[in-house]
Amino acid sequence: MKKIVSLFIITIIAFSSFGQAKKPTIMVVPSDRMCISKGYSMTFDNQGTEVVLPDYKKALQTDGDLRMVISKMSGIMADRGFPLKDLEQELKGLEQEAAETSMLTSKEGSGIAESPIDILKRTAKADIIMDLDFRIERQGPKKYIVFTLNGLDAYSNKNVASAAGAGNPSSAATPEILLEEAVLSYMDEFNGRLMTYFQDMFAKGREIKIMVMMFAGDGVDFDLEEEFDYKGAYETLAVHIEDWVADNAVEHRFSLSDATENKMKFEQVRMPMTYTRNGEDRGMDARRFVGELRKMLKDEAFNGGIDCKLYMRGLGEAWLLVGEK
Amino acid sequence: MKKVAQIFTLVLATILIATSISSAQSRNKVRKLEYNSSYNYEVATVAVGVDGTKLVKVWGYGKKPEDAIRNAKELAVACAIFRGFPAASNGKAAKTPAITSDSNAADKNAEFFENFFAPGGKYLQYVNLSTDAPPSGSDRVKVNKKTYKVGIVVSIAFDELRKDLEKEGIARSLDSGF
Repeated sequence: MKKIVSLFIITIIAFSSFGQAKKPTIMVVPSDRMCISKGYSMTFDNQGTEVVLPDYKKALQTDGDLRMVISKMSGIMADRGFPLKDLEQELKGLEQEAAETSMLTSKEGSGIAESPIDILKRTAKADIIMDLDFRIERQGPKKYIVFTLNGLDAYSNKNVASAAGAGNPSSAATPEILLEEAVLSYMDEFNGRLMTYFQDMFAKGREIKIMVMMFAGDGVDFDLEEEFDYKGAYETLAVHIEDWVADNAVEHRFSLSDATENKMKFEQVRMPMTYTRNGEDRGMDARRFVGELRKMLKDEAFNGGIDCKLYMRGLGEAWLLVGEK
Repeated sequence: MKKVAQIFTLVLATILIATSISSAQSRNKVRKLEYNSSYNYEVATVAVGVDGTKLVKVWGYGKKPEDAIRNAKELAVACAIFRGFPAASNGKAAKTPAITSDSNAADKNAEFFENFFAPGGKYLQYVNLSTDAPPSGSDRVKVNKKTYKVGIVVSIAFDELRKDLEKEGIARSLDSGF
């Protein structure tokens, strides 16, 4: 009986801890190629250089095929437990948010505190972008669909899932039917690859990016090459930071792709999916993970403790700005 | 001299007969193993099925064409669960991955699948459309005196099957762990 009770408790704990990992958000975004080739684009003069950018709002408002494909994909993903973030609604929501933020005041007449970076960060974003591209081609009287779907991790920029191909030419089917067929045909393959990516994530940790940068203020009289004696190791600040990442990454997996006296760029850092707080398992994100590095730098050994600012760029990327808050 | 030649011919004939019997037995053994193998799926995707379904052509074996059809239905569902369907030719449909990503799922859940694939078992619920009348022509081949090989086109309720296996804890859902 005792054995059964303990088995039951272990099962409950296992299930509750599995349910804690942070769920990535997914959004379908039409590819730059598709937007630009169909004329859904904006052109800017950036200091003499012409820059062409996709105009998502125009694409979503005018392209019926695109809306149909996104709607079909959203239905399939919602069915698999991943309701998609809707790009059109996200863009509308951001406009509304900006309008309301500028109008809101307290009874004393104070406005909402908003830094330029807060305004800059007000963009449509998701943890995984489903980069969608399709075009209707002709082969004599027959039409067929060329379909490409890439799942991109917004932080590592890695292609984590993909499905692509050209459909069967048909003279009878309408482009709408061919497009629906293409979505139905490729989504299982795409989701199969996405599943492999998630399984890898649960086995080896979520892959994140960490940037460490120095503030350039007058009060900051050291850089990442300054040497400190921390826990018996007399090393540069960069080495102490690297050691911390190595010790805390799952299976010590990470790569330091850039390091100078002012900047360190860690990529492919495998962060644990959960952490324990107040006896509970909670989902880990990059901000929480790098927050522990900030705590380490507050140690007396580093000139009585280094002030750092933690800047979150999403679920999988955080910047640690060293020297000031 | 004549006697020696007769004995020699007799020995040679015996060796030849023995060899051919053993070779036929070994061929039969291989064929039997292939029929019973859990890895042997002869299946081809026909086209994109309607929402949530897969349209495939599958070949089954049996003593009678009816048995072969039953075997084909079972193989189609098993293929969806354990191996997935290959892509169709001419871009008619992309490939479909298996519902379970665990290669040992069949052994781990042996009791479940024993009941699931039992004659008249739950697997039949996922075979929506099939040509129940015994097929003819090139879709009905008499392999030997005792065995028929039959090809049928079936529509598998793939999404429904996946959801039910996820509920049973046999397949992992896309959002499990989050």
